[in-house]
Amino acid sequence: MRRSLVLAGAAATVLGLLAGCSAGGSSSDSGKTTLKVAALEGGYGRGMYTQVIKQYEASHPDIDVQLQISKSIEDEITPNMKAGRYPDVVVLGQGRKAGLTETLIKDKGLEDLTPVLKAKIPGENKTVGDKLTKNIVGNLNTNPYGNDQTYLMPMYYAPTGLFFNQGLFKQKGWKVPATWDEMFALGDMAKKQGIPLFTYPTAGYLDSFFFALLADVGGEQFYTDVMTYKKDVWKTPNARKALDITTKLLGYAAPATVGYANEQDFTKNQQLILDNKALFMPNGTWIVGEMAQAPRAKGFKWGLTPLPAVTAGSKRYITTSVESVWVPSAAKNKDAAKDFIAYLYSDEAAKTFAKSNAIQPIESIASSLSGENAEFYKVYEDPSVSALVGGFASTAPVEGVDIKATLFDTANSIISGDTTEDKWQAALNDASEKLRQAGD
Amino acid sequence: MTTLSSPPPGSTNRTSEPAPPTGRSRRRRGARAPARRRGNTGFVLACLLPALVLFAVFMIVPTLNVFRMSLYTWSGFSPDMRFVGLDNFSRLLDDQQFVRAFQNTVALLVVVTVVTMGMGLFLAAIMTRQRLRARNLYRFILYIPNVLSVVVIAAVFSAVYDQENGLLNGTLRLLSLDGLQQVWLGDQKIVVYSVATAMVWQSLGYYMVLYMASMSSIPEELYEASALDGASPTRQFFAITLPLIWQSLRTTLTFFIMSAVNLSFVLVRAMTGGGPDGSSDVLLNYMYKQAYTNSSYGYGMAIGVVIFAFSFLVSLLVSRATRREPLQF
Repeated sequence: MRRSLVLAGAAATVLGLLAGCSAGGSSSDSGKTTLKVAALEGGYGRGMYTQVIKQYEASHPDIDVQLQISKSIEDEITPNMKAGRYPDVVVLGQGRKAGLTETLIKDKGLEDLTPVLKAKIPGENKTVGDKLTKNIVGNLNTNPYGNDQTYLMPMYYAPTGLFFNQGLFKQKGWKVPATWDEMFALGDMAKKQGIPLFTYPTAGYLDSFFFALLADVGGEQFYTDVMTYKKDVWKTPNARKALDITTKLLGYAAPATVGYANEQDFTKNQQLILDNKALFMPNGTWIVGEMAQAPRAKGFKWGLTPLPAVTAGSKRYITTSVESVWVPSAAKNKDAAKDFIAYLYSDEAAKTFAKSNAIQPIESIASSLSGENAEFYKVYEDPSVSALVGGFASTAPVEGVDIKATLFDTANSIISGDTTEDKWQAALNDASEKLRQAGD
Repeated sequence: MTTLSSPPPGSTNRTSEPAPPTGRSRRRRGARAPARRRGNTGFVLACLLPALVLFAVFMIVPTLNVFRMSLYTWSGFSPDMRFVGLDNFSRLLDDQQFVRAFQNTVALLVVVTVVTMGMGLFLAAIMTRQRLRARNLYRFILYIPNVLSVVVIAAVFSAVYDQENGLLNGTLRLLSLDGLQQVWLGDQKIVVYSVATAMVWQSLGYYMVLYMASMSSIPEELYEASALDGASPTRQFFAITLPLIWQSLRTTLTFFIMSAVNLSFVLVRAMTGGGPDGSSDVLLNYMYKQAYTNSSYGYGMAIGVVIFAFSFLVSLLVSRATRREPLQF
C-alpha cells in the first residue's frame, strides 16, 4: 500500500512537472479576432506602434491586436514559431544577425502579400499599391524569389550612404568629393592633418557601401548579376574594379576601426566621426537617433552623401534600407493580418510613424519631413542619384557559406593585412558559385 | 543436586548459546531479506523515477535528436528535411572557417587550462603554506571574478583592451613601453589570447579555492618531517602536496575542460562576436552562426556532434592520462 502511494506520488510529480512545462493557457472567448503582431523595437521606439494599434482597434472593434515588441524580437518569437505558434504579422527586416526573415524566405515560409498591393486602405479610397513610392516593390528585397510575387511589404525606408560632419568640412573649406579620385585626394590631404578618411561601425555596415559601389562600377545589370550569383561574376573586370576601389579606401581606414568593429564597441567607431577622428563612415539615417546623446565636436552637423562616382558625371547610387512587414504562411489570421498591413499605409498611420522618424515609402511623404530628415531624404531629389533597393537573392541554405560575411567581414582582414585582394576575390567567387548551384 | 558450573551431559546451555534455528525459521529469514531488499529497491526507484524521467526527456532525448538532426539538411523551420547521411560531417573538413574555429577552441582550451590550473595550484600553495598577512583579502579578491556574470567580465575586459583609452595600453604608455601596445581585440594573431586572458581571470579564483580546500586537509606533520629531512618548499610541493591532492586536481581538470568550451562561447560572443573576420570564432559560436544565422540547422547540429565527441574524447584522454593510485594519509 505504502509502495503504491510512493509510486503514485512519483508519477504525479513527473506529470506535474511535465504539465508545468507545457504552454497551457486558453484563448479568450470574447468573439473578437486576436491578431498577434510582433515587431522589432528599433531606433524609432515602441510608442508609435501602440498608438497605431489603438487607432486601428478604434475603427475595427472586432479585432484585438496583441503587440509583442522587443529589441531582440527574433529570440522571443522563434521558439514559439518552432513549436507551431506563429504571430500573424511580423515587422522585421532582413540583414539582422539572427536572420529570421532570411530563414523564412529560404524556407518558403512567407505568405504571398501581392493581394495587399491591390487592397483598399481601410478608411481610404486608394489601394496600397497606389500610395507606395514607385519601384519600391518588385525588387529582391520585396520579391525575394525574383518573380512577380511580393512577400515582404516595404514598411520604412531610409537612405544609407556615407555620413560625415558637415561642420568640419565647412570649417576646413573642404568640398564633399563627387568622384573617387577626389575622395582619395581628400584622403591624402586629411591624412596630413591627422584625420583618417574612412571608418565603419562593423564590417556588416559595408552593405550600404558595397551595393551602391557595384552598381556605380558596372551599372544595375552588373549589380543584379552579382546579387543573383551569375557564373564567374566575381572574376569580371567590374568586380575587380570594385574590389580595387574598396581595397584602396580601406588603406585610408582609421587605425581604431578593426579593434572596435564588433557588436560591443561599434559605437566607438561611430564616435570617431563625431570627434573628427575620421571623415566618412557608411551608415543609415537612424544614426542621428542612435548617437543623439553622444558628445561631439563643436559645430558638428550630420551630413549624408551618396558614394562618389567612378567617373565624373556618371550616375551615382544610394543604397536604400527597407524594413519589411510580412506574414508567416503558418499564421492563423492571415486575412485579418493583410487588412492590418493595408492600414499601416493609411495617412493616419503614416503620420504617427513619421512623428517617430519612421518614414514609409509613400508618395509625397518626403514633403512632410523636417529637420535633418528633410535634408537626408532630399538625396532622392538629385537627378544624378538613383535609389538602389535589395540585396543578395535568396537560395537554399548552403552549409558553411555566407556570402555577406565573405564580402563584408574580409574588409577587417584587408585593413589588418591578414589577407589579400586576390584571396578576397577568389573566396567571393567560390561562395557565389556555391550559392548559384544551390539556386539552380 | 545439580551444579551451576557443570551442566549435565546431554543438556544444552540455553542462556549462553542460543539454539540453532530450525529449518523453517531459517527459510523464513532467508525469504524476508530479499523481500525487504526488493522493497527498498522499489522505493529507491520510485524516488529516482521523476529525476530519471526528466533526465531522459530533457537530456537523453534532445542529445539523441541532435545526432539525428546532424544527418539531415534542414533550415530549422520548414517540414522539408532531407536525409543526407554523413554529408554534413564530410563538408566540415572542407570548411576553412570550421577548421579555424576548431583550432581556436583547442588553443583556448590548452592555454586556459594550463594557465588556470598552474596558477590556481601555485596561488593555492602560496596561500596555504605561506603565512600571508592578508590571506583572506587576497582570496576574496581572486574569487570575485567568479561571481561576476560572464557578460560583465566581457565588458570589463573590452574596456581594459580598448586601444585608445584602455587600461592595458594606458599602462604600457605610462611605462614608456609604447612599442608593446596592441590592438588587443582587433589583431587576428592575438585576439584569441586576449579572450583567453579574460577566461583565466574569470576561473582562476574558483579553482584556487578548491585547491586550497584540498591542500589544507594534508597533515602538517608530513611537511614538518620532510622539512627535517631538508626538503625545500618546491620539493615539498611536488613530493607531498601534488600527489596528495591528485584526485581533486584530476576531477577539476575534467570539469574545467567541459566548462571552458561553454565559457569560451559566451566570452567570444560578448567580446568579439567571433571577429575580426572569424579569427576568434570558437566551435560553439560557429555552430550558432550556422544553425541560426545561415539557416543550416542540420550542419549546425553536425558541429554540435563534433563538439560533443571532442569534449567527451578530451575528458576521457585527460581522465586516462591523469589516472594514479590514490594515496592515503
